[in-house]
Formats: sequence, C-alpha cells, structure tokens
Amino acid sequence: MEEKSLEGWAPDIHDAVTLAEVVDRAFDYRGDVTVLLDDGRELIGYLFNRNPDAAEPFVQMFEREASGASSVPYARIRAIRFTGKDTAAGNSYAAWLRSKEAAKAASSPPGA
Amino acid sequence: MSVPVSQMWTVATYVLGQRLRGRKRYPLVLMLEPLFRCNLACAGCGKIQYPGHVLRKHLSVEQCLAAVEECGAPMVSIPGGEPLMYPEIGRLVTELVARRKYVYLCTNAILLKEKLEAGWFTPSKYLSFSVHMDGLKPEHDEAVCRDGVFDQAIEGIKEALRRGFRVTTNTTLFDNASPIRMQMFFDEMMDLGVEGMMLSPGYSYSKAPDQEHFLRRQKTNELFSKMLENPKKRWKFNQSPLFLQFLMGKQEFECTPWGNPTYNLFGWQRPCYLLQEGYAATFKELMETTRWEEYGRKSGNDKCQACMVHCGHEPTAVNHTFTSWKGFRDTVAATVTGKL
Repeated sequence: MEEKSLEGWAPDIHDAVTLAEVVDRAFDYRGDVTVLLDDGRELIGYLFNRNPDAAEPFVQMFEREASGASSVPYARIRAIRFTGKDTAAGNSYAAWLRSKEAAKAASSPPGA
Repeated sequence: MSVPVSQMWTVATYVLGQRLRGRKRYPLVLMLEPLFRCNLACAGCGKIQYPGHVLRKHLSVEQCLAAVEECGAPMVSIPGGEPLMYPEIGRLVTELVARRKYVYLCTNAILLKEKLEAGWFTPSKYLSFSVHMDGLKPEHDEAVCRDGVFDQAIEGIKEALRRGFRVTTNTTLFDNASPIRMQMFFDEMMDLGVEGMMLSPGYSYSKAPDQEHFLRRQKTNELFSKMLENPKKRWKFNQSPLFLQFLMGKQEFECTPWGNPTYNLFGWQRPCYLLQEGYAATFKELMETTRWEEYGRKSGNDKCQACMVHCGHEPTAVNHTFTSWKGFRDTVAATVTGKL
C-alpha cells in the first residue's frame, strides 16, 4: 500500500506535533521543503539529514539555489512546510503495467 | 565461483589482516554512489526519487577518492544512479585501478557501448562491469519499465567482452521470478561469455513504486532452492557460494550492515545500503556512532526481518569463509564440486 503523500503539509509546531517529529517527516520526504527560521528567512531545498542526538541538534539541506550543503540548528527552526513535489509519490509501476496492457490490447486483432 | 584468484587472495589477506588486528567491524566493499541520476526508473528501485536539483548534483572525483581512502575496503562497487552518466567516471575508475581497488561498475549498460567506443575505460583485472540484468528479455524489460533495454545491455556486454573487459551480471529477483526461466537466463549469460553472475533477492524500499513483488524469507529460500538445487557446472557465480546457500536456506547468517558501507552526496549512510536513517560526516563517525545492535534479524527490527540482500549478508558469508574451518570447508567443497 502506498503511503499518503505529505506534499502540501504545513504543520503548526506545538505540543501535539513536535519539531522533532516534523523534522523526521521532512527527512523522510522525497521532495523540497521550506524551512522557516527565527529571523524570518526561508530556506527552500531538500532536507537530507538530521541529527537529534548531537549536542546541538541540526538538520542539513541542499538549498535549491545553492551549490553546497547547509546546516541549521533545530533551535532556529520555527516551521517546516512540505512545499516541493513528492518525487516518491505516484505509481510508476502501475502506470507501466497499464501501458503494457494498453499496448497488448492495441496489437491484438479485433474480437480476439 | 568465478572470482579471479588474485581478487580472492586480496580479500582473504585483507579479512585475515583485520582479524589479526583485532578489528571487530570492518568494511569489505565500499558502495560508492557518485550520483543519483539514472536513465531508467525501475519499479523496484528506491534510489532515484529526489528533486531535480539533487539529481543534477554529483560527487567530485576527489570526494570519491577521499571516501575510498577513508574506508579502506579492498573492493569498490559503483552503483547509483547510473554511473555511466557520471561525467568523470573514466577518471574515477582510472584512479581506483591505480590504487589497486577491485572495482565493480554497476550499470544498466544502456550507455556502455558508447562509452567504450569513446575510450573512457581500459581493460584491467581490477575493473569489472557489473551489468544489471533481471532475467530474460521480457522479464528484464518489465523490471526496468522500458522495452528494448535488454537488447541494449546485451550489445554493451558483447562490446565490453570483445574489448577484453571483465563483465559480470547482477540480478535482483522478485517473487514473480520463475526458476526455469532464470535457469534459461543463466545459460544465456554463460553463452555470452560473462565471467560470472551475481544474484540477490530484492529489498522492499519504502520509496520504490512496486511494493507488491518483493520476496519474503521463505519464498526466497524456495525460489533459490528450485533455481540452484542442481546447478550446471558451466554456471559461474561471482559471489560467495555460502551466500547462495544462505539464500537457499542451507546456511543461517546474520546481517553485517557495516560490511558494505555506502557513501554518496549526503555522506556516509546509516546503517546500510538499503536503509536511510541518517548520515555521518566521516567513516569513523559512521562506524563509531551507529547503533549497530538495532539492525539485523536478531535485533527484532521490522525493517530487517525479511531482508536477505547481498549487501548485508554476503560480507557475513565471506567472513565465515575466512574465519572458520567449517566456512572454509563448505566454500572449498562448493567451489570444487560446483554443488551448492
């Protein structure tokens, strides 16, 4: 069963949905996210790592418009929005099977 | 087994050297992923689902070489993504061969003929093209979700063999595999003249589109037993016979997740090639801070219960060969008799 995509999710961080949980979801998400910082800046990019066990927990991102990776402490994150397309969502295998079936049907003689 | 003697010797001395130094955990094969970009989108692959700006990035040759040095494994497997789309693959391979690393360049071979004709590679005992082949033409083209790829791969294999390269195949098996069709596939690969074949059951990547066809443990044992119970002498496998016996249910091995560590754009992947639970900045950090006890079948980790994939279990098999008399005896017996 395919999991429901988080694309478009914009959770408010509070007691019920903690920052650590949202970071974990963002780490698992195969699309870009927008990270809102405490100074009002927004970082848009792919969040590829997080370390909640470090002395100062941090996330790492490849920002869309930058070449290298950047590191952001959890303490500076105010919110994370799942703004990019979820590249793992969809059903390419199902689509492949559908196209194979369609091709077979098209090549079969009428009434076969 | 079809692994060249010099390669076996290198691995044997490396493993024994690690044991003599008292190292409990050591890598055997570095899985080096210079890029995630691929020219296919196979149903069983969970490696390429990233935003475009990530897919356009790749490691530099210098980053790759630093990882190789840091890791110290005698063998380097280059999967991906499709390594032949990495613009510096020729230079990377040249540098690795110069360092006497045994390189398995894992490719779908769509671009192989073109790159060989362009002179990107030179034959060497240290370099083997490990061509992704998931069965005979209909099965392979279905697995890679594109018609015609099997024929392109065959063309690439023939060209590589004609030019004197080592060529092996790597095959991932799913639960719809037919033992008889696979035996026909083994014959076809041997007829082509490949050095050996590598087999592994698939792993259910959480991000792979096709979640329905991954093998579970018992099914894996049944499939591999049927396929390999009377192996033809001419079938050569470029992997440990004990690992194949494990797949048949004749050996019981625990996972060695640090055996094939993975390095890519994100760093050193925890804990293994298949699971992505975080990244370490250095190999040392990976080895020292990963909670290894949380992985493998005995740990009770759900994600590890059905896994029998080569990257975790082949290192266990190799270690067993070189560190126990029973393992050594079973390996020699299988190698000499051809029976698994």
